[in-house]
Amino acid sequence: MATIEVKNLSKVYGSGETKVTALDSVNLIIEQGQFVAVMGPSGCGKSTLLHLIGGLDRPTGGSVFIEGSDISKMSDNTLTELRRRKMGFVFQFFNLIPVLDAIENTALPLILDGIKPDIARTKASEWLSRNKLDGRGNHRPDELSGGQQQRVAISRAMVSDPVIILADEPTGNLDSRSSDEIAVALRKIVTDWKRTVLMVTHDPRIAAYADRIIFLKDGKVVDDTLLNGSNGENAKRLKEKVESL
Amino acid sequence: MRIQFLLAWRYLWGRKQRMVLTTLAVVFGVTLLFGLNSMIPGMMESFRHSMVTTSGKVDISISSDSNNPFEQSVLSDLSEIDGISQYTGILTKNVVLPESLGGSINKLTGASSVTVTGVDFATAQNVRNYSLRDGRFLEAGDTYVTVIPQLLADKMELKTGDTFTIPSSEGVADLKVVGVLSLSASAGLDEIFVPLATAQSILNLPEKINTIDALIKSGSDRDEVVASILAKLGPNFKSGAIQTGDELASALMMGESMMWLFGIMALAMAGFIIFNTFRTVVAERRRDLGMLRAIGASKQTIMGLIMVESLIQGIIGTALGLLCGYLFSLALLAGVGSIFASMLRVTIGAPVITTANLIGSIILGVGFTVGSGYFPARSAMKVTPLEAMRPTLGTMEYRQNNKRAIWGLVLLALALFGLLFGEIKIAGLSGVVFLVGIILIAPVMVKPVADIFGKLISSIYPREGKLAQGNLTRQPSRAAITASSMMIGLAICIALMAMITSIEHGFVRYLDKSLGTDYLLMPPSLVLGGGNLGANQGLIEKIKATDGIEEATSLRLASSQIDGTALQLIGLDPLVYPKIAGLEFSEGISEKAFEAMTMGPAIIVNGVFAITSNVKTGDVLTLQSPQGEQEYTVVGIAFDYLNAKIATGYISQTNLANDFNSESDVLLLVNRTPDATAEEVTPALQAVIKEFPTFSLIDSSEFKTEQMGMFKMAMSVFYIMVVMLAVPGLIAMANTMSINVIERTREIGMLRAVGATQTQVKRMVFAESVLLSALGTTMGIMVGLFLSYLLVKAISVIGFSTEFYFPTMGIIASMVVGLVFGIIAAMVPARQAANTVIVEALQYE
Ligand SMILES: Nc1ncnc2c1ncn2[C@@H]1O[C@H](COP(=O)(O)OP(=O)(O)OP(=O)(O)O)[C@@H](O)[C@H]1O
Ligand SMILES: [Mg+2]
Repeated sequence: MATIEVKNLSKVYGSGETKVTALDSVNLIIEQGQFVAVMGPSGCGKSTLLHLIGGLDRPTGGSVFIEGSDISKMSDNTLTELRRRKMGFVFQFFNLIPVLDAIENTALPLILDGIKPDIARTKASEWLSRNKLDGRGNHRPDELSGGQQQRVAISRAMVSDPVIILADEPTGNLDSRSSDEIAVALRKIVTDWKRTVLMVTHDPRIAAYADRIIFLKDGKVVDDTLLNGSNGENAKRLKEKVESL
Repeated sequence: MRIQFLLAWRYLWGRKQRMVLTTLAVVFGVTLLFGLNSMIPGMMESFRHSMVTTSGKVDISISSDSNNPFEQSVLSDLSEIDGISQYTGILTKNVVLPESLGGSINKLTGASSVTVTGVDFATAQNVRNYSLRDGRFLEAGDTYVTVIPQLLADKMELKTGDTFTIPSSEGVADLKVVGVLSLSASAGLDEIFVPLATAQSILNLPEKINTIDALIKSGSDRDEVVASILAKLGPNFKSGAIQTGDELASALMMGESMMWLFGIMALAMAGFIIFNTFRTVVAERRRDLGMLRAIGASKQTIMGLIMVESLIQGIIGTALGLLCGYLFSLALLAGVGSIFASMLRVTIGAPVITTANLIGSIILGVGFTVGSGYFPARSAMKVTPLEAMRPTLGTMEYRQNNKRAIWGLVLLALALFGLLFGEIKIAGLSGVVFLVGIILIAPVMVKPVADIFGKLISSIYPREGKLAQGNLTRQPSRAAITASSMMIGLAICIALMAMITSIEHGFVRYLDKSLGTDYLLMPPSLVLGGGNLGANQGLIEKIKATDGIEEATSLRLASSQIDGTALQLIGLDPLVYPKIAGLEFSEGISEKAFEAMTMGPAIIVNGVFAITSNVKTGDVLTLQSPQGEQEYTVVGIAFDYLNAKIATGYISQTNLANDFNSESDVLLLVNRTPDATAEEVTPALQAVIKEFPTFSLIDSSEFKTEQMGMFKMAMSVFYIMVVMLAVPGLIAMANTMSINVIERTREIGMLRAVGATQTQVKRMVFAESVLLSALGTTMGIMVGLFLSYLLVKAISVIGFSTEFYFPTMGIIASMVVGLVFGIIAAMVPARQAANTVIVEALQYE
């Protein structure tokens, strides 16, 4: 059973003249422990794909199976619970709660799940230190740099032991050094913890950390490549590919 | 639940200023609600005293079964009884005055006598009203001193300092007159007051009393209180006082419901403020909320988060409000109390906290807050997880306001149409409809109003004015809601002021009409009835025969019932009465009605009766009389000053004599001839009424002045409330302005970065605030005019015929208040905006 299975997935926005087909019959199978990067030109449907897989939005056609169950048929509450337990999200704009400190932000999914606060806090601190944020636990988001905020977000995504981590341009708002730190952190999640990571990115250098690259264009999968070279080689190959497509 | 509390608390704490302002609105509402209502029992009690005592009645009067004196020590048993607010023990006995001591044989009243009443100086004044014309009341240490009523002083030619000698068990007692009671005091005609111990020795009844007078707490059931007193005192006692009239109770109830209304209106405004704040909060936090949804917070959790936030504010606000309310009522009682003490000689008690008031205030305070958070919480619930993925856009309004405005216009038209019916219930409804209509239209009014007033401001500060105008119109709904809460405050101010002006005019008019004559010959009790002894034809004939008297007419009294409802009947002379006095008509025409009275069984009823029994002109009433049932046709609805509050009917004296066997005059109205002066006529009249000691001669103009004074004072309390109601409007504006500034921190930083000076930023905020208040004031005036028309209409319908006076003063006051509020509200936010640190502002998220 694949972790993620996407069957004939379509998403159409609007109707008539303003109709936009964001996704057009996409089929994908992603196994556990794979680090997948989604690339493609702006407006090709990358975010849309991620949203549908994450159960943040509903498809207009086809279905998404997470560990074998069809999420497009779930009620809002079941879906919410699934997100809480099985998925972690990393957003482009960090999206931390400004009035909570780093530990509280990280512990949020556990607290939402009704875990005891002290257990939640302990787990949150563990994840913060895995992401090299020791000693930053009591800082509020506005006291952290962009890269640090994003690492808090990754800790938050991991704290509930999810099966899948979904990240939409997690480095979109960061400089290249912070971006590398984020990519390394995500790589570790896959290598050390055997989680599945699905990441949207524009940056071939960041995509090079992945095991597999899916290229989208006009809502269709146009290329699906496994990477096995070194980081530098992969990045070069990807750059060429992006230019060719 | 824990997560909601954590987040709610953190969010509130993170925006302290806003929390303070929103909570303040709740505090204010609860303060009014709780404070006014804990003041009421104290105040109402005082009013009861003053009304009850001036009419010479107490709630409960206890005496022994056999009317014999009993031990004074019995009194201490009463202190344990709930429901008694005040009590005092009295020893009273009639003492015949021999001729040697100034007594005289009088055909009407028999041998003249005085009633010697021994009172406990400390408690007596709590139960009855002893207002003094001269001198002082009894004090500690007094022995053979007395306070006597003015009539007796006049009759016996006594003044303070003189000695009044009365028979005593010890022979005679020489009492030094230390005080003379005024006319409105609730003394019997020939009742003299001495210290209790003195009375006990004069009457040779040591340590004895024979009456206990008590007032019940407002809200207590008299029968229950009497039963528990009698149970406590044992079998040899009886209760024998006249029950205070229902009309009094209903007047007091009115007052109480007025206070509730005030408090609830203040809370409604607080509700607006909270609603507004939470709407902004939800808009501001869309991305946070979306993220929470994405990482697995359910819709209920999100809704709960906002609800908990409003719950926290509701609880804090209510708790503080209860505290402030108590202090407020203490302060107000102290302030009002001193006025009352000096004007009415009424002492006002401490605030009373009733469980009902406490629970009611808590429920309403927390309820309104949570209720106002509900709709924003609903919309927070609908935030989709996807909103977390989008970058935050500055909150701009996309909502279509036009559709609502059309509904608003429809409602306004309906409201105006509703007025045409002239039916009070429909008119009341159209008041509500009008208000809702204005609130719906408000968002589209923002732009035109901002344009007009913006031009004014732009002419002074061209750059800032333009910016402010733009900023205000950016969030029409928020501006509209803020303006709406200000509108409610101002509208109520205008309406109440208009009502007061109209009532005042009406009051003067009917005071003039009812008491239009030069003299009044009044019975002891102001309210007619109540056991007043009338005079026979002799009195009016003698008065008419007096030199310098042009005309005199009388009012007579009887009582009747219609289907079991009591109706006081006043007999008047339909030929003379309208000439020298008159009734104030709210339905029917004066001349026609009085003419109809001369011809057959016709009755004019007052508004109270017309409303409660649903009677109209032309109806035929069946009155119970000693002669059986009598049919009277209603020829008008009208009232006179003295009988406005009790269900009353006016019929001709001929009919009163034939059907109700009543031929005594209880009140006389007398006019001088134009060339006669008061100096000549007053002594002559005084000589006449000496033989009719139940009457007192009153110069109408003096009486009117006194009544006007009391009226003005009652109204001034009203004015204070009116002003208080405008305050939530101020809080709303300050709140919105600070929300606006916080929300635009980034923009303000940007403005500063590109070269706006601090002063310019400040001016911009001030200008926006003034524009906002201009909007509120404009709306307030519109609604205020409508409401005031309704209110005045409503009072006329109840029977106090009043005309609508355009509330010019109210409108001017509102405009001033609006401008001042606009400036005050912007003070803190403006400083905040000016002090924005540019770099921080640009990082602000
Ligand atoms: N809510 C929406 N309503 C209408 N059209 C939409 C909506 N969201 C996305 N689209 C359209 O769907 C298509 C795919 O959008 P999507 O956001 O998935 O692109 P993307 O690949 O993530 O682009 P980018 O790299 O710029 O983030 C685009 O053409 C976009 O205009
Ligand atoms: Mg995208």
